[in-house]
Amino acid sequence: MLNTVLNTFIFVALPYVALAMLIVVTPYRYYSNRLTWSAYSTQFLERKTLFWGANPWHYGIIPIILAHGLGVVAPGAMKSLLGNVEVLVFLESVGLGLGLFALFGCVVLLLRRVNAPMLKRVTYPADWVLLILLTFQTATGVYISLFMRWGSQWYLHTAVPYLYSLLYFNPKVEYLADFPLILKLHAAGAFLIVALLPFTKLVHLLYWPLDFLKDPPILYRWRSRPEGKVE
Amino acid sequence: MDVRAQLVMVFNLDKCIGCHACSLSCKNIWTDRKGAEYMWWNNVETKPGVGYPKKWEDQEEFKGGWVADGHNLRLKAMGKGPTLLSMFFQPNMPKLEDYYEPFDFDYGNLYGAKGGDDQPVAEAFSQITGEKMAHIKAGPNWDDDLSGSQVYAAADVNLEDKKIIEQYSTMFMQYLPRICNHCANPACVASCPSRAIYKRGEDGVVLVDQEVCKGWRFCTSACPYKKVYFNWNSGKAEKCIFCFPRTETGQCNACAHSCVGRIRYVGVLLYDAEKVEQALLKPDNQLVEAHRAVILDPRDEAVREGARKNGVPEQWLEAAEKSPVYALVKEFGLALPLHPEFRTMPMAYYIPSLSPVLSAGGELHQLVEHGTIPSREALRAPIGYLASLFGGGNRDVVAAALEKLIALRIHMRAKNLDQPTDEASLGKAGLDEAGAKRLYRLFTIGGYNERNIIPPQQREELDSHTRKGASGFGILKKTGRGRR
Repeated sequence: MLNTVLNTFIFVALPYVALAMLIVVTPYRYYSNRLTWSAYSTQFLERKTLFWGANPWHYGIIPIILAHGLGVVAPGAMKSLLGNVEVLVFLESVGLGLGLFALFGCVVLLLRRVNAPMLKRVTYPADWVLLILLTFQTATGVYISLFMRWGSQWYLHTAVPYLYSLLYFNPKVEYLADFPLILKLHAAGAFLIVALLPFTKLVHLLYWPLDFLKDPPILYRWRSRPEGKVE
Repeated sequence: MDVRAQLVMVFNLDKCIGCHACSLSCKNIWTDRKGAEYMWWNNVETKPGVGYPKKWEDQEEFKGGWVADGHNLRLKAMGKGPTLLSMFFQPNMPKLEDYYEPFDFDYGNLYGAKGGDDQPVAEAFSQITGEKMAHIKAGPNWDDDLSGSQVYAAADVNLEDKKIIEQYSTMFMQYLPRICNHCANPACVASCPSRAIYKRGEDGVVLVDQEVCKGWRFCTSACPYKKVYFNWNSGKAEKCIFCFPRTETGQCNACAHSCVGRIRYVGVLLYDAEKVEQALLKPDNQLVEAHRAVILDPRDEAVREGARKNGVPEQWLEAAEKSPVYALVKEFGLALPLHPEFRTMPMAYYIPSLSPVLSAGGELHQLVEHGTIPSREALRAPIGYLASLFGGGNRDVVAAALEKLIALRIHMRAKNLDQPTDEASLGKAGLDEAGAKRLYRLFTIGGYNERNIIPPQQREELDSHTRKGASGFGILKKTGRGRR
């Protein structure tokens, strides 16, 4: 009974709430006040520890998020790629390494907030919530990677079809219902992060510097020319 | 020809007394906010000295500006790919200690302290952490007037001959007021991954769009003049806005308006945007001439036609014709760009200082016999130093400007004393009677409307329906984090 309630909460209620938040709050924040849309970097006030925190964290977590996403976007390609045992072992090892790298960075970032006096006034409750949540999320990920081997493969046969069932508004909890608690918590953490994203500085994730790559170096804006930015 | 109009400020360094009225009026209007306490969009530093932030001129430290590698200009710091990879940790960003930790004093304690044997004091506290600061390590203008020490002057990157520091008591000293240069080739704009910084087409003012900025911080180091600042509270970059709400209505900038020495001139320059990049590929010592070549003559009919085609209004062309800036920068060649070798083509220009007045080396304050022009080596401020600041190392362009200033002084001195004037020496320096008269007016008795010729701008061109409900420019929305 309890298990069913937990499963329904984590695999049905939470993801839809998270999705609703993302879809509704993000545009609201974007159109109502973009002045708070920032990564809120604290490098200006403290940079020595940040180097050992922000770099490992981002370089570790970005490939891992991309790998999670790739399984959803191209499950077929992933399946054929991971069919080769050597590739599977190699990728799992790389994934574990990146996970540990990210975990190290995240813990450094958390301890940095505790120890740096310069950051006292720029640390808000949201920072603690996010850092603790992200540390938890990365730690459970590393645990799963270590003790529930070949996750990159079973992920494709369990979590991916479940995520698709979410999109079809027909959530099939049975794909994940029998997994150990740690994985359910990992899933819950992921949905929670998505839900918090539009409310926190995590919105910096939604920005991709694509214009930067194609634009000419010097940007002009003309009030008299309706097209706005013209070289 | 791609004719653009730009609002430009010229600084007459001979007249700057280092009173900081400009800095204070700017701070009171624009940076008296949380997160901006340490920012001085306008600052005045003592030269020789390390400046603000410390050692901003040392591009090996902060990697600002552009470098020319043969046929291309590229940002000194990094290209687009490395920029994207450095977004999490920006390696060149100046840190708080490079400026100073802003502080205030606990004046409340003077009233609210409990009764005791000792007089209550107002202790210093950090405006960032709110904690008491037992030891203030730096502050605004910490090395003002050399700070009674040789330490700051010795760290000036422009001093080729450090020996001059030993002759401290006889050393030259001058002030360098600085605002954002609103460059024609701004490195901050090029470095921004969010594309939040832009140059206004109509008047060339460089602005940070606060709605687009995500706080990636590349601009703060890409600007070789360190005139883009990171607001630690709002998480976004900020910079001098050339007081656009004032200039748009024809008033001059707050810094220029409050200037006690009346050292500043504001006016319009027309320049050829197509030629900017080519000009910046020249070697360092040819850059001043290259800058001047890009600036166009507002009386030239072809230039005016090109300007009209680009939407420059008639009022602006009229202002460009009368522009004191055009006269000082191009016609007389007196005003020089600050560190042209950073290759951003700064659109603020400086008339180099003769002060301390015509003292020949060795014998201090010995006024030169009038009618003679001292050799440039005799000037107290070493010409190599000025050339490093304003000439890209080219002594000749600085010397030419100084010789004009000297000739002008000798000429006006003779006139005031009713003595015969010497047209030949005026001519030798490249001036004539009419030119001398114009400069004399600009330098001395020229009033507000002669020193500042600022044409009204866009708002006046819009029809009344567009303007309706659009008054004011204050930010009313919440910025930063936490409660408002």
